[in-house]
Amino acid sequence: MKPVKNWLLASTIATIIATPAVSNANSDVEKLTENPANWATWGGDYAGTRYSKLSQINTQNVKNLQPAWSFSTGVLRGHEGGPLVVNGVLYVHTPFPNTVYAIDQKTQSVIWEYTPTMDADVTIPVMCCDTVNRGLAYGDGKIFLQQSDTVLTALDAKTGKRVWSVQNGDPKLGMTNTNAPLVVKDKVLTGISGGEFGVRGFLAAYDIKTGQLAWKGYSMGPDKDTLIKPGKSTTWQDGKVTPLGPDSSTSTWKGDQWKIGGGTTWGWYSYDPKLNLVYYGSGNPSTWNPVQRPGDNKWSMSLWARDADTGEVKWVYQMTPHDEWDYDGINETVLVDQEVKGKMHKTIVHFDRNGVGYTLDRETGELLVAETFDKSVNWLTHVDMKTGRPQVVPEFSTEHNGEDVNTVGTCPAALGAKNQQPVSYSPQTGLFYISGNHLCMEYEPFEVSYTAGQPYVGATLNMMPAGADAITGKKDGTTNLGQFTAWDAKTGKIVWSNKEQFSVWSGSVATAGGVVFYGTLEGYLKAVDAKTGKELYKFKTPSGIIGNVNTWEFNGKQYVGVLSGIGGWAGIGIAAGLDNGDSSSNTEGLGAVGAYRSLNSYTKLGGTLTVFALPN
Amino acid sequence: MTQYSRAAIACLLCTTALIPKVQAGEKFRVCADPLHPPYSTKELTGYENKIAALFARQLGQEIEYTWLPERIGFIRNTLKAETDDGGYKCDVVMGVPAGYDLTETTKPYFHSTYVLLIAKGRGWDDISAPSQLANLPLQRQESLKIAMFDRGPGTEWLQQNGLLDQGVPYQSMTGDSEHNVAMQIEQDLRKGIIDMVILWGPMAGYVQAQSPKDSYIALPMTSAPGIKFEFSIAMGVRQGDNDRKQQLNTLIEQNLTEIQKIVASYGIPILPIPEQPSRQDDD
Repeated sequence: MKPVKNWLLASTIATIIATPAVSNANSDVEKLTENPANWATWGGDYAGTRYSKLSQINTQNVKNLQPAWSFSTGVLRGHEGGPLVVNGVLYVHTPFPNTVYAIDQKTQSVIWEYTPTMDADVTIPVMCCDTVNRGLAYGDGKIFLQQSDTVLTALDAKTGKRVWSVQNGDPKLGMTNTNAPLVVKDKVLTGISGGEFGVRGFLAAYDIKTGQLAWKGYSMGPDKDTLIKPGKSTTWQDGKVTPLGPDSSTSTWKGDQWKIGGGTTWGWYSYDPKLNLVYYGSGNPSTWNPVQRPGDNKWSMSLWARDADTGEVKWVYQMTPHDEWDYDGINETVLVDQEVKGKMHKTIVHFDRNGVGYTLDRETGELLVAETFDKSVNWLTHVDMKTGRPQVVPEFSTEHNGEDVNTVGTCPAALGAKNQQPVSYSPQTGLFYISGNHLCMEYEPFEVSYTAGQPYVGATLNMMPAGADAITGKKDGTTNLGQFTAWDAKTGKIVWSNKEQFSVWSGSVATAGGVVFYGTLEGYLKAVDAKTGKELYKFKTPSGIIGNVNTWEFNGKQYVGVLSGIGGWAGIGIAAGLDNGDSSSNTEGLGAVGAYRSLNSYTKLGGTLTVFALPN
Repeated sequence: MTQYSRAAIACLLCTTALIPKVQAGEKFRVCADPLHPPYSTKELTGYENKIAALFARQLGQEIEYTWLPERIGFIRNTLKAETDDGGYKCDVVMGVPAGYDLTETTKPYFHSTYVLLIAKGRGWDDISAPSQLANLPLQRQESLKIAMFDRGPGTEWLQQNGLLDQGVPYQSMTGDSEHNVAMQIEQDLRKGIIDMVILWGPMAGYVQAQSPKDSYIALPMTSAPGIKFEFSIAMGVRQGDNDRKQQLNTLIEQNLTEIQKIVASYGIPILPIPEQPSRQDDD
């Protein structure tokens, strides 16, 4: 890691406001999340359930919902994540240039705003898929902003003044950041993006007061880098929780390939205060050509449990060994206690890009359930519950097919049966609500690629509608690209699933009013009945929605808010002016454009926060 | 958009020079990396800069550059990036592989290959063919320090020959605005961090040009089943920008000797341009 620039060091000294001497920021955050008037962390709570106890808006009256106020962010491009609401103040972020606004809900006016100084020439060229930012974290009287240029900044929540900044990564190596941080105890957790550049992923914890690095756990490399303790840290193997031997990562790579091995950590992180464990997923291995990296490439594509104080690995489980499909494993991990096979477990639930919904015991890492949550998924027959490994169908393995064969009809497509948009969970129904993609892909080898002046034979990726029923898997010629699905993680069964014309790229929220809210790429905020999936309300916001719907209460009224602003991978054709309207541009943006072409007639760029409420 | 006379189009196949007329005020607008030797630099020292200057001169146009590091998203953010007035930021990318699918490509203007570059005086001076590396006694093989990129045919070759364990990993692209990959490799070869590298011809030419003559053994790599080392380089324009493509094709034909002289002057290995497979543009 490069030494931090002087101005960063200088800034870590002065804290402007006197903060109470709590060494335990989590009690602060935890308290805030217990009050449903707040939406104090990306997931609504540490468990990442995105469930709200508010019930003012319910299945009966949600049809009367209407926009209460709206706010333009002033930024085009993709708006992911969602607003935080803490003690009545609303905090909202933008994609690059990562402006933060604190908004007074009473007057709907800006209390303060902060735009970091970032060099666009350095940052934008290293961001793969639009310049998204997935939101803020709150704790210890501060707002934490993870800037695109990898600088992590703490702002005084009252004034917007910068308290400290720290350089989390090196953009020179292709590192960027898109994730929302998470405050745990006296630390702020953040990860890293840049898998396309071969960046080696890590999760890092910084001191909440000073920005000093507390620990850093890499996704791959020697045990001292991954913070795996051989003989103590475990994985799921041979049908049991098994201690890991030494060098469990490096032994699955050739030579020093792990040094540029990927496994980035750009998703969402959750925390169990009782177990004191932090949970998250790691992304795909680099290089993209699987032939060139023999082995399982551990611990890419894995679920992790780390000790919050030290970063030491409690357990790790690899979902997609030796990835050939770009099924990035970074999606969120939701922590719910539920009965599986007649026994109560503290579970962790994760819906992977690879199409499998996993339920594990979050204390031990025991694999409990692994079933596909969209039945068009065909790259595996099943997950072997004993080994924990997916049983790959040779026909859909690019490596098996070799370089003279197109690999067609692989489902899901590279953007996954579900991408980063987080699920919600309702304890009322016991179900998870999944914002899903419904696409398949083909790889055409023998296409000439060109990276920074070096030509080579690569593969071209095209995506197309799955054309099959998500519930049965039967081919039916349908053209919808998205599904919104209710899932029972205790049994691994789909309870209901609604078709969506486009991918659902918006995180949902479930409420005690029996309603689940999510956004669509055309720009609709939708409300459905949590039990049946019946659509109860929709409203078209100014642009496509790739943000997460959040809900909170102010002055006795329940509000629902969402960022619209098309972009991200799904909208990159629109966000970056990629689509020239003919099929030759299908494979730009990693194949996302062709499948999303008709989106352009529904929605245009522009960031807006729209806040909904029932009429007075 | 330039209008061609029928005569000009008919003359694409004849030998008399006839350069299409351009509208007054039109510029020759190039999308390029400001720090990408030997291809292009802001100081205009790259061979692509020289070829662009040659073309602009013949067209009687002024050159205008749009600079952006050439990494993922380069085409999207330059050639295909719309400006507020409904146009585009720039019109030509001076070097892309023939048949590249992110752009329409012109006729190729040179053909080159990857090269195994070995720094002399490091104990490898006896190597005269790449295949020797694969057949070294194990002990010698283990002392190899060869660069390995995160993609590309060189890595494929190392993999096929059981040499991945000897690879020193390098990123194919970085976020470094002060060094490009060729510069990094050149520095590390000099420092002895690596002794050898399988590098694309133009970059291999650049590395050699930074040192006294004969500092390196340069062995061209030969394509084999499953590994393609040779590529033709063309220019890239937007899909559907046919007039400009025609104009560039004419210029390439008329100046091929001059262009190849420029490329060769950078120490880049040049091979005969093979027949181009015709690309199906309807897939």
